[in-house]
Parts: sequence; structure tokens; C-alpha cells
Amino acid sequence: MTYVYYLLLSALLFALGAYGAMRRRSVLLLLMSVELMLNAANLGLITFARAWGSLAAQGAALLVVALAAAEVAVGLALVVAVFRVRESTTVDDLSELKG
Amino acid sequence: MNLFDLVAGVVLLLTGFLAVQSKNAVHAALSLAANFIVMGTVFMRLEARFLGWIEIIVYAGAIMVLFIFVIMLLYDAKADLGVDPLPWLRLWAPGVAALLFLGLAWAFFGFKAPLDMATAKAALFGGTAHALGPVLWRDWLYAVLLVAALLLVATVAAVALVKPEGGEER
Repeated sequence: MTYVYYLLLSALLFALGAYGAMRRRSVLLLLMSVELMLNAANLGLITFARAWGSLAAQGAALLVVALAAAEVAVGLALVVAVFRVRESTTVDDLSELKG
Repeated sequence: MNLFDLVAGVVLLLTGFLAVQSKNAVHAALSLAANFIVMGTVFMRLEARFLGWIEIIVYAGAIMVLFIFVIMLLYDAKADLGVDPLPWLRLWAPGVAALLFLGLAWAFFGFKAPLDMATAKAALFGGTAHALGPVLWRDWLYAVLLVAALLLVATVAAVALVKPEGGEER
């Protein structure tokens, strides 16, 4: 069945993204892994929209795309701003605010 | 299930794996862009034509190019930097990801579609902008307006964050 195939594909891509988010230590690559996870969730939403014949999930997927764009805009601006001060993009170097 | 599904699935998994495993950040970004383009075609196959194009234009066209710009700007193509303060996380990551996949697969495996494929396909009208517009601008209007405000704030914040400090000589 095609639906289960695409749902499993979305689960695999989500797990891959989670693996990358745990393994990567550069902020840029971490953000990319998060993008992969968001996209996998979108694939799940679109597959369910196809199964139910409902456009609501496609609307939700569009909102996810807009949120990802906002996240990347702020995230990359933070990376550039922090890089100017610390000369590094490793998350472990960003412990200035540690309690 | 046809040849397109199989090829798209293999390419999606391969490029996704390269994106999380590549030692070079530029290679990771490019394989993620390829992943997004193939994902756009998969969306079109699943009767979401408008979203398929949005995926290609916004994700592969705008977001990944922005990533590549920043990698080039900071000369930061290396994935492994400095000492690793959490070495155990690296060892656990494959196991945790596998558990996550198994949990999701367990939830998805018994999925039974409520409608037959032809009825559901007819109800989606191909997922074109013409079909999706009334949903977004009537039922989801407040959500769309909130996301639009968020996007505007994010754009202003992005400009404000990278702007040089006021008054200081640079």
C-alpha cells in the first residue's frame, strides 16, 4: 500500500534528522538536520491529506514551510552574529549564558 | 506503488543520509537541496501540486541557498570542530534514532485509509493553488495571518541581529 510506504519513509527521514541533530555539533549542520525533520513531518501530513481527501493538512504543511523559513532566517542571523564575536559555529562554544 | 515511488524513496533516503553524515558542510547542504527537490516531486505525486512547487521554490531555492551563502561567508565547511564534550551522545545517537523510527513505524503500520484512493483523489482537486486558496484564506485565515506576522518579525530580527552596533566604529 502506497500510504504506509510513504508514512514509513517519513518516519525514516524523521529518525535520520533526529540522528543528525544529536550527532552534529556545528550550528549550521544542526539547523539542516532540523530542516530534514520538519520536511519529514510535512511528508507525513501530505500523505494523510491524500488518504483522507482533506485539504486541511496541506494548509498545515504550508504553515510548516513558512515557520521553517522564519526559523532559518533568525537561526542563520544568530550564527553570523555569534561568529563575529566567537569566531566559531560550534554549539559547545556558545556557553556564555551558562548558569 | 510504482517505479517512481521506489526510486524517489531510495533517493530521499540516500540524500538524507548524506545530509546528516557528510564531513563537508557544503556537500551536506547540496544533498539536502537534492532531497528537497525530490520531496517536491513526491508531494506532486500525492496530489499536493501547489505545495510541491512551494517545496522546490522555498526550500531548495531559498532556504538551502541561504545555508550555502552562510557556509561560504563564514568559511565553515568542516563538520567536526574541536573537542567533543558529550562523546556518549555520539554513541547513543544511532540507537535513539532507531528507537524513534521503530516507535513511529509501529504507530503507522496498521494505518487503514478511510476512503478509497479514487474518492480521496477527487476530493483534493489536485491540490492546486485554486483548491488550497479557499482553505487558507477562509478556514485557516487567523493561522495564516499569525504566521505572516511571525515571518515579518523574523525578517526584522534577522536584519537587526546582523546590523553593526549603533555608534560604534567598525
